Amino acid sequence: MKHHVKLRKPLVKQLKKGNVKGTIVQSQPIWVRIFHWGFATSLIVVILTGLQLHKPASFLALNFSKVLTAHLVFGWFSMGFLAIRIADALIRRDDSLIPKIQDLKHFPQLMAYYFFLRSSPPPARKYNSGQLLIYFSWFLLFLLASFLGLTSYWQGEHLIWVWRLIGGFQVLRWTKFIITIYFLATIPVHIYLSLTEDISRLQAMVTGYERKPSPNNR
Amino acid sequence: MLSRRDFLKLVVKGAVLGNFYQLISPPLAEAVAAGEVKKLPVVMIETGTCTGDSISLDNIWTPTFSDILTNITDWRYDWTMMQAQGDAAYQVLQETYEKMPNEYILIVQGSMIQRDGGHYNHVAYENGKLVTGLELVRRLGLKAKYVVAIGHCATYGGPVAGYPNPTQSTGVQNILPERRVINVSGCPAHPDWIMGTLLHLALYGEPELEKYGRPKLFYGETIHNRCPRRRYYDQGIFATEIGQKECLFRVGCKGPVTYADCPIRRWNDHINWPIGCNTPCIGCTEPGYPDLMSPFTVHLPDIPFPGGTKVNTDAIGLGVLGLTSIAITGHVATSLYKGRIQKNLLRTSVKAQHRPAVKKVKTFHQYRLKKT
Repeated sequence: MKHHVKLRKPLVKQLKKGNVKGTIVQSQPIWVRIFHWGFATSLIVVILTGLQLHKPASFLALNFSKVLTAHLVFGWFSMGFLAIRIADALIRRDDSLIPKIQDLKHFPQLMAYYFFLRSSPPPARKYNSGQLLIYFSWFLLFLLASFLGLTSYWQGEHLIWVWRLIGGFQVLRWTKFIITIYFLATIPVHIYLSLTEDISRLQAMVTGYERKPSPNNR
Repeated sequence: MLSRRDFLKLVVKGAVLGNFYQLISPPLAEAVAAGEVKKLPVVMIETGTCTGDSISLDNIWTPTFSDILTNITDWRYDWTMMQAQGDAAYQVLQETYEKMPNEYILIVQGSMIQRDGGHYNHVAYENGKLVTGLELVRRLGLKAKYVVAIGHCATYGGPVAGYPNPTQSTGVQNILPERRVINVSGCPAHPDWIMGTLLHLALYGEPELEKYGRPKLFYGETIHNRCPRRRYYDQGIFATEIGQKECLFRVGCKGPVTYADCPIRRWNDHINWPIGCNTPCIGCTEPGYPDLMSPFTVHLPDIPFPGGTKVNTDAIGLGVLGLTSIAITGHVATSLYKGRIQKNLLRTSVKAQHRPAVKKVKTFHQYRLKKT
């Protein structure tokens, strides 16, 4: 005869924890997750509307004033999300996104891993050297693109020195396009690697918690 | 005499009605006759140029350019317009330089050719020696009351300074860094822009200039903002070929990046302008023209590579995206073949194989009252 055992909640929690391989740790605090998904959504809208403004697709009969409005509004949103992330990093004294020389020393080994010359990636802090390079370049290029965006938004009324420095509206437009191409080339790499390298990292960007495999199971 | 405010109103009114000189010249001629305004002493030096700006200036219709030369300005030296030649003509220039310092206006037309000390561009013959454009413009410019560069070549180098710029040509401002040069750009410059700037200089002094040294009254707004086809753009209705009547943005119109008042002023005595005859604006008033504006039928300039090859920016963008796609596809295939994706997914997602055992440590008894 099967007896139904009623277990208390703390015990159930403990059992569930024990049922999981490795340990579960908090990896992404709430503000980082808000930034990530908010910024990703805003940036996708900014890039798509920017491409539409750059070269209108013949199969889309969109109202261009609305496309421009969306581009500007989501541009401001993405800047706001970035400001949240910067404030969060300052408050928590989080330097996990800033590449250090020690991180970059592992870059050749990481490339060897990606090119199947090594079986495992080199040790890293929270993010590996490739991630750090890409994330940090995104941060800098997004700031540059936003700055140039503001310059073109003000049409030479303000930030005149930027116009002179860069050499005119056409060069400004060209620079923004090249930055867009960089984002479009690196975002798929980011998505691909986050889906195939460590799925629990992706889970952490939703729930906040990540499964760290036990050392003998790596 | 006209107030500056009235003058600025006439600039816009004249643009809309197409009779700028008709409006402006009677009060101005009266002021000159009454001695309220001095006739403008003007000398024009042509350097590396096609003389297109002189031809454009000659397109003033009512009153004719000759009326303006006779009644309003003191046009002293200009190869295209003067009747004298040789020493007699050059003497006038020398006299102006020596006897009228800080009075005359120097107009420069054409780019400043710098290679080999400017010896690919001789503009005068003085005491048995050839004088370069570079030397003469610097000499006259330092003593002029105002220096006005007209046309794209004189303002920013123009087609003469186009890639690969074998003559090392540049604009006047770059060879006269000591002076503020008033740039009246365009390929060619509109006659209203040239004459309007000169009249403003004569009547009220230097006009307010924008970021690239151009008078704001003519170059204050983009073509796109004033374009009569702007409504098509806002609604997303685009021409797919040159010659169609919709917005020409998709076929490379540079209106959004070009500052000039062509949409209201138009060309050839207010008859038409490029977009009016269904061809895109080529951005001829902006620094960097023609390199940054060509090809004229696409948005972004081609990127020059060593060896003289130029590649379209859109093609480079598509190429980068294509390479990324190929790289990711290749990596996915190799990872699947080597089992890396499977291994990584198992490592990071599967639960523990051994379920923990539960031991009964305490029994809870539940008691209920019996029904009586």
